[in-house]
This record gives sequence, C-alpha cells and structure tokens, in this order.
Amino acid sequence: MKLKTHQFGEIEFDESIIVEFESGILGFDEHKKFIVISEEDGIFYWLTSVDEPELVFPLFPMKVILENYPEVAEFEVFGIVKLQKNPKDITLNMKAPIYLNQNTKKGFQKIIDNDEFTIDYKLFIEN
Amino acid sequence: MLVLSRKQNEKIRIGSDIIITILGVSENQVKIGIDAPSDVKILREEIFENIKKHTVEASLMSKEIKSSDLSKLSINKLNKPKSD
Repeated sequence: MKLKTHQFGEIEFDESIIVEFESGILGFDEHKKFIVISEEDGIFYWLTSVDEPELVFPLFPMKVILENYPEVAEFEVFGIVKLQKNPKDITLNMKAPIYLNQNTKKGFQKIIDNDEFTIDYKLFIEN
Repeated sequence: MLVLSRKQNEKIRIGSDIIITILGVSENQVKIGIDAPSDVKILREEIFENIKKHTVEASLMSKEIKSSDLSKLSINKLNKPKSD
C-alpha cells in the first residue's frame, strides 16, 4: 500500500502494520486506521491516518517524561505533540495520551482527568 | 433539549445502563453522581473542548512545520509526583 505523506513523501508499507483505533481520536472520530512512522534518528513517532495522510499527529513516549505515567498492560503510551516554529515552544499533551499495542495493532486514546497533567506541557528546555 | 426538574437524591436514567443522581445542590453548584459502563467516556465539557482544540492544532502544526532543529534543547523531564 502506498501513501503520500507531507513529512516523508511517498511511502510504501504492508497493510499488516495498520493500527486500528476503534473509538478514534478526540475530534477525529471518523479516522480509525493509522500507521506509525518513525525516523532512524528522530525523536517523534508520526501517527498518520491511512485514509487521509494529511492528518498526522507527532507522538512522544510519555515514559521518557515521567516513569510512572499511567500504564495500560501491553500498551505503549505516547503524548500528542504540538509542533511550533520555535522548537522551544513545542508542547506535549499529557492529558489525552495515545495507547498503542504494536503486536495486536490496536490503539486508543484515554483522557486522564487529573490536574497534575496539562495539555500544554513544555517538551523541551534549553541546554 | 429535554429539561427535567429533580430534587436532591432523585435520579435520571439514560438508556438502560446510565443513571444520573443529583447528590447535592448549593447556591451555585450541583453535585452529580454518574453510574455508567466503563466504556462510556465521561468528561467535563470544558476539558473535552480543550483537548479537542489542542488535538486539532497539533494536526495543523504538523502540516506546517517540516523539521525542527532540536540540537540546542533537551527533554524537559517531569520529576515523580510527591505522593510517591
């Protein structure tokens, strides 16, 4: 299967890597099928809609930020990243994480209604 | 919109498995209890709208920005919460 992506140009992949989001992602409920694109030396994972490859969510592993971030057994947990022109302003949504199981190819979004986690957590600090 | 009047401790049933209970009423606040199956997402509306807005913006920004120079930055790690 082929997809024309904004970030990586045309990519070809096997349908077996498609991850299914049965309940969709908040605001994008109609998109159920995604692939996860990662770059060899990149720090983000790019959750890309198969039906509309223009729709992409950069993901960042939550465990890197917080070791004891809420887990779901057998799922990896990521936060959606909002990119910015100035990378210093890039934020991470800690309140609505994406859970992915690469073996069963299932994914879902969970809302963590906890004031400790903000939707605009600054992902970077200057060295 | 369906409008119903309820007193404290009275309930409203939605469908066969969602029950709303009015737990308490004060001057400008109502305390509501909700019993629903675990797969039903229950959220305060303003949080739902905030997350939705952020998600839409995240998808738009990922179209706009091709690559970022992250070389002068490090990950802002969060310490474990004090409750540990």
